Amino acid sequence: MGLLWIHAVEQGLAYGIAALGVFLTYRVLDFPDLTVDGSFVTGAAIASVLLVQAGFDPFTVLVLAFVAGAIAGTITGLLNTQLGITNLLAGVLTMIMLYSINLRIMGRPNLSLLRVATATRVVEAVWSPLGAFAVLAFIGLLTFAIKLLLDGFLRTELGFALRATGDSESMIIAQGVNTKTMKILGLALSNGLVALSGALVAQYSGFADVGMGLGTIVTGLAAVIIGGTLIRSRRVGWMTLSVLLGSLVYRIAVILALRYGYVVGFEASDLKMITSLLVVLALVVPYLRERRMKKVSSC
Amino acid sequence: MWSRRERAQSDDLIDRPGSVRMDHRKDIAEGAKVKRSIAVLLLVALVGCVGLLAAAETLKIGICKIVEHPALDAVEQGVIDTLTAAGYAEGVDVEYLIASAQGDFGTAISIAQNYQSQNVDLVVAIATPTAQAAFEVFRGTDVPIIYGAVTDPVGAELVPNATDPSGNENVTGVSDMIPVAAHLQLLKDLGSDIATIGIVYNPGEANSAILTDMALAAAPSVGVEIVTATADTTANVPLAAQSLIGRVDAYYVTTDNTVVSAIDSVLAASVEAEVPFLMADPTSLAQATLAAGFDYYEHGLTVGQIVLDVLSGVGTDEIPVTYQPTAQVHLNLDIAAEIGFEFPAAVIDQSSTVLYGGAVWEKQNP
Repeated sequence: MGLLWIHAVEQGLAYGIAALGVFLTYRVLDFPDLTVDGSFVTGAAIASVLLVQAGFDPFTVLVLAFVAGAIAGTITGLLNTQLGITNLLAGVLTMIMLYSINLRIMGRPNLSLLRVATATRVVEAVWSPLGAFAVLAFIGLLTFAIKLLLDGFLRTELGFALRATGDSESMIIAQGVNTKTMKILGLALSNGLVALSGALVAQYSGFADVGMGLGTIVTGLAAVIIGGTLIRSRRVGWMTLSVLLGSLVYRIAVILALRYGYVVGFEASDLKMITSLLVVLALVVPYLRERRMKKVSSC
Repeated sequence: MWSRRERAQSDDLIDRPGSVRMDHRKDIAEGAKVKRSIAVLLLVALVGCVGLLAAAETLKIGICKIVEHPALDAVEQGVIDTLTAAGYAEGVDVEYLIASAQGDFGTAISIAQNYQSQNVDLVVAIATPTAQAAFEVFRGTDVPIIYGAVTDPVGAELVPNATDPSGNENVTGVSDMIPVAAHLQLLKDLGSDIATIGIVYNPGEANSAILTDMALAAAPSVGVEIVTATADTTANVPLAAQSLIGRVDAYYVTTDNTVVSAIDSVLAASVEAEVPFLMADPTSLAQATLAAGFDYYEHGLTVGQIVLDVLSGVGTDEIPVTYQPTAQVHLNLDIAAEIGFEFPAAVIDQSSTVLYGGAVWEKQNP
């Protein structure tokens, strides 16, 4: 069972990078971006093709996946800011485009990574003294490095302009900031992170599949919202940490549902319901506790 | 016969990355440590008891599929029925852990990891992504993985070679490859005026893309032309099917999950175009002019047979990729009458069942 918890944390952190991307658009930029369902696969596709067909290093491909995702985000940004397509539709259009593009990149719908040296396999070999914790250590370090970089960026002048674009667009225009550029930048960064997450997840899973991005926006939003309930803070560092925590809670809910669902009579087909209910539980418990505290203090 | 292997102790777990063996007692202790809430504690204790009791005598088989789907559900049922028929009573000799990723690829990995932590003795993985996920998680262990409903196990890199199993690791299984060239020939045999065949498919489905590529490759030698229409979602299948009206002399749909989910719309288009429609899955005979291929329940029975072989001690590196035998042709005379189509005598001779007047009739002495 211990191993299962380790795996849950590994996955929670790996998907947490995508959740950070969703956080950047949904929370910071106030831009509900559906591109991510496509750009997640773009990252996985680019990484897999370069690994399998071009023999690239499994860590370099993570960076290249980020670049590919950033390009996808830029397309959504251009559709929205330059061609005046509403934010939801711009994201949807790019996502649909990416379906075809991802198939082109991979050349087929499913690309196996079972027989190449993926990042997780290299780490397992190189960090073998860490045993079962090697992959966790790698994904943890990568995720927290990205979190810290993102925190640092959001505290720069450019980062403040980006946050202000989401908070109060008219005010920041008055300050002389080009909000269109800010939106494109935010979308590029966000989708870059999502694609990096896709590239990491593909290597972790041992394959890339054109259908693997389905629901990225949903799990990403779940992580952002769960995290926001568990840690309530307006400080950047805490907010990004809460997103990672939210992603963890979501994956742990999946594992708990898989592992213990049948004990209480659930069937395989009930999985999504149990996952959702566990997430509801995670959200409701702190809320109820807080309400009770308020009642007590008001007495 | 199958006898239960002695379990390795968990002490060496940390020394062996990727090791799957865990001790149940440690398991419970750790679970309890992590979860503080009383409810979860109770659950853990309960599962622990059940787990300990069950682990003492029964065989544990984990079955996972990528999504709920009639064909994949039928494979699962076929596997269980084969084992039951062979004397593995459910709940006594064998315990099944059954899970569906419900379309989520991350969950597919979690399912395999959960099976690993529960010390399953064997995994049955249904469909390509689940098989790949199970293989990745159980890599380097001695837990056999038996896949089903995987069209191209070599392309998916589950096994290195289709005919020579000696390079197989802890994985083998049954391919659901269908004889595409034979199906094209069957369509051509329907009439001399059949020259162009329309295929509706989802290019995003690994199995379907392979089968369509095979059809395109086989078309010149059969002497037909292929026109394709793609549908990336079930909602787009009607439009894709309609786009072929007037452009093709027959419709052909392979084992494409997206298209099969909206098969009535392909049938409607073929009826409107008054051309025959061949479906590569006999379970959909009611929604086609004719069907060929195998039933996915039969496929499950074949997968179950491989499971039995492995349980009886045959190594996964001794079993090559098994292909589902398929030769039967099924005709839907009701639909044929609706579009004013008459089957040639040769095709009727070839058929094993016909659908007529809403009922299925089987040939008595084929």
